[in-house]
Amino acid sequence: MKGRVIISVLAVVLTIFSCRNNSRKSEEFVLANTDSLTASVNPEVDAMEEIYRNFSSPLEIANLFQVMGVPFSPSYLASSLNANEQTTSFQKALYLGILGADLGYLNMYEKTGTAIELVSSVKKIADGLNVGQFFNFETIKRISLNKSNLDSLLFLSVDSYSRMDEFLRKNNRSQLSSIMIVGVWIEAQYFATQVMKQYPNHLLRERIGEQKYFLEDLIRNVAPYCDNDKEFATVCSYLRDIASKYENIKISYTKGDPSSSEKDGILVVTQTETSMVEMTDEQLAEIIDITGNVRNKLIAN
Amino acid sequence: MKKYLLGFLLLLSGYAVLYGQTQSDPLVSKCLLSTGPTAKYLKDFRIQLGQSTSQDAFRYKANMSLWKNTRYRFTLCTADNSQGQLILNIWDNSNNVVLSSVDKKTGTIYNYVDLICNKSGIYQIYFDFTEGQAGSGISIVSMIQ
Repeated sequence: MKGRVIISVLAVVLTIFSCRNNSRKSEEFVLANTDSLTASVNPEVDAMEEIYRNFSSPLEIANLFQVMGVPFSPSYLASSLNANEQTTSFQKALYLGILGADLGYLNMYEKTGTAIELVSSVKKIADGLNVGQFFNFETIKRISLNKSNLDSLLFLSVDSYSRMDEFLRKNNRSQLSSIMIVGVWIEAQYFATQVMKQYPNHLLRERIGEQKYFLEDLIRNVAPYCDNDKEFATVCSYLRDIASKYENIKISYTKGDPSSSEKDGILVVTQTETSMVEMTDEQLAEIIDITGNVRNKLIAN
Repeated sequence: MKKYLLGFLLLLSGYAVLYGQTQSDPLVSKCLLSTGPTAKYLKDFRIQLGQSTSQDAFRYKANMSLWKNTRYRFTLCTADNSQGQLILNIWDNSNNVVLSSVDKKTGTIYNYVDLICNKSGIYQIYFDFTEGQAGSGISIVSMIQ
């Protein structure tokens, strides 16, 4: 009898340990024994793919808003998205991207408490795509509620998205990964253009214009899937519509050697080479309009 | 009874050891904490390299878009078990060196490099360990306000 009791206790304890949410798992960076490594380790993603697969772009846009002194506004967020309503994998992937950008915006403004609902939606959609195991829900939620460490939160959010993306690509679902990236980009572009309308600023104007080349690469990335079905065809056509507004925008460069100095043990390098965007007010207005239209159509579907 | 309890304790301690081994590597947390109070995390690169047979070129290459009017900080953290120290070079898309974390004149190796970017574009980020030695490390890219 005693034996059975102990075995039962043992079973319960081990079950508890086994089911324990290993929420810190995505923070792992287990270092290999370097002696066993080959001479070179390169990223698996090819050169151009590394560029579009940038889940940090909304953070950079939000950082620029903060430099400009733009206050936080919930009106830019895709609040109407309902995590329970997506029917197709395409919609789930697109919304996962859009909500990822919203999460980045909220985190950058340290609106972490209000981000909890959004984090739950991201988890729900990620589960629907069978990538929920890569979204570090419990830890992100805990850090968000505690408002304990912004950098860890940014790290975990970006890392979770990178892992979900990697899993999709490695499991022959690259089309969903591409559409997720489109979602991230379109939402970040929406933030930029909406803020530009309310708080015109030359730094933001340049950043919007500089999206020309990034958008071209994004279109190339999604192009193989444009004939997949109606949903892909629609998004491809939306992206081409936006790109058409960028057609006559020019980006020029001036040459110069970087200068460097040391301050408090930090090497500070200043580029003197510059890039400049030539964009008229009309072109900017058209980009703002079309971005708003496309983004709102995407979240209304 | 004692036999069952002993078995239970052995199993439990075995599980605890295994569980402990899967916990996060402190290097990531340590590196994140060392980026500075005004730094905001953007991206990280995890580098693991064995001993190189030649020291000609940096072996780990990645691409990254950097945007004008942004101050980026590259924090370089080397794992304790590494033989070399993590170093960095950045090149622009015209194949010009933008920065190096090693000052060849003085021999100083910087663990923090700030780039005040004035040209948006795609940059090649190269990492290696000093003298082509084996090592593991992480580089965190942050934005500084």
